[in-house]
Amino acid sequence: MFLTDEERRILDGAFGEPQRISLQVLVKLGEAYGAERMVQIQSAHLVGSSYQIAGEAGIAIYTRLVEQGARVKVRTTSDPGSIDFARWREFRTPAEYAERQILIAELLDRMGVIPTWTCTPYTIFNVPRFGEDLGWSESSAVVFANSVIGARTNRLAAYVDVCAALVGRVPRFGLHLPEHRRGEVLFELDPDLSTSFEDHDFPVLGYLVGQVTGDRIPVIVGIREATFDQLKAFGAAAAASGSVALYHMVGITPEARTLDEAFGGRAPAERVAVGPREITRTLEQMSTGQGGAVDVVGVGCPHASIDQMRRYASLIHGKRVHAGVELWVCTNAVVEEMARKMGYVETIERAGAKLMVGTCHNDCPLGAWGFRRLVTDSGKFAYYTPTTVGTECVFASTEACIAAAITGQVERR
Amino acid sequence: MSSSRVILQGRGCAPGDFEGEAVVSNQPFGFWQGIDPQTGIVIDKRHDLCGTSLRGKAFVFPFGRGSTGTPGIFLEAVRNGCAPGAIVNVKSEPMIVACALLAEAFFKVSIPIIDGLKGDPQELLRTGDRVRISGTSGIIEVISRV
Repeated sequence: MFLTDEERRILDGAFGEPQRISLQVLVKLGEAYGAERMVQIQSAHLVGSSYQIAGEAGIAIYTRLVEQGARVKVRTTSDPGSIDFARWREFRTPAEYAERQILIAELLDRMGVIPTWTCTPYTIFNVPRFGEDLGWSESSAVVFANSVIGARTNRLAAYVDVCAALVGRVPRFGLHLPEHRRGEVLFELDPDLSTSFEDHDFPVLGYLVGQVTGDRIPVIVGIREATFDQLKAFGAAAAASGSVALYHMVGITPEARTLDEAFGGRAPAERVAVGPREITRTLEQMSTGQGGAVDVVGVGCPHASIDQMRRYASLIHGKRVHAGVELWVCTNAVVEEMARKMGYVETIERAGAKLMVGTCHNDCPLGAWGFRRLVTDSGKFAYYTPTTVGTECVFASTEACIAAAITGQVERR
Repeated sequence: MSSSRVILQGRGCAPGDFEGEAVVSNQPFGFWQGIDPQTGIVIDKRHDLCGTSLRGKAFVFPFGRGSTGTPGIFLEAVRNGCAPGAIVNVKSEPMIVACALLAEAFFKVSIPIIDGLKGDPQELLRTGDRVRISGTSGIIEVISRV
């Protein structure tokens, strides 16, 4: 691999051990995947900020890096932690567990990481621009940055993201190269589905696309319009059920103004027709449980925006969460603060729901609750939470989720 | 037990040398929620190796499935001395290769990785086969068959 003079000096240890070891990992990774050189990144985002992910191995790594004087070289943000730093006792988190997460927070702080504790860094503080190279992990954030914004990042692994942050570079391969960003699999929505496509269909379609696509690049044609939050929900589902790091939605995402542009002039390797029947079949797979009594309702995956907070507040205004049911709304501290000013937090909390800030169900140890049935409007939660929390899952629209929290019952769609 | 030596040539993705037993599956594998890092035992109930220990074995599987949190669990297993000793894939994704590079950088443990295995892993290697692996040359030598 070609290395600049500065990169050679980093590898010789001229800028300290953290940079030397970081660049060494990145160069070897680049060599394994045919990178010809490194590329400078504008920002990094770290998934190993969570104790659930980093564990004691992560603490050992971060402790050593901090002792060696590590400081991030580019703007770097943190993914959700494994506790709500303000309310972890309310969520029955064991104190010794919370202490380990608090230690990780201190270590990241000493490296200069911005403590955003969110999976949607692209909405605050870490907003990429079209064409920028990034070093991000967190699959739902990677897919949003690549697809909706048109920035360029591979799905970095935990700690590789730290290495990237410490040297401000990543090896240039994969999605950093325009020729590797062209569509491969075409998903065509049939006219019936295209005209009737609703808000809650976005995560379902994402889940289906991820299952079929795996790690290839899907192109979706037939979506007429989509909001920021709908694209967020779609991508998070596709990145969970598959390893989708980039999708193109013709007429909606920036590298797909036309079908031809999305495929870079090539023909699709595979075509998949999607109609109401395929959506129904996917819906069935997303729910592992039957309808009936509900223990916990989870919304805000990926972290809720201020628009979503307004929606939850209007759906629950003047109502009451059913006795014995938990309604958890996941978001980040900035949206929480804004929602508090707008009165949404008061409305949500007065109804008996809880805000879960800077973390989420997938990251927290929730064994103490003994939940059996989760209801969620997130394709990503539907994919992971049955394993992480050990519940059955019923996927439902946002309206149906809030209704389930109020009545204590859910019907399978 | 057969004594004829078989050589398989792949592509070296992470350096290191290994000699020991193989554990083989034809199913993709995700380490995140896939192994218990305290023991190295597969805990993914949907996987055909559920209950099998990967500790110190050459783990042969087609390709990784995986969360970006994969190295979290993998390095926890490395720290506990319970990680696989080598990995052989049809296609190694960067997430898996990163695990080995990080293990070497931060825990001085080398876990050779070879990809480019041609075809169904179970037709080339069997669980219990004794293999010698060089992550630098990409060569897998089958020393003895079960």
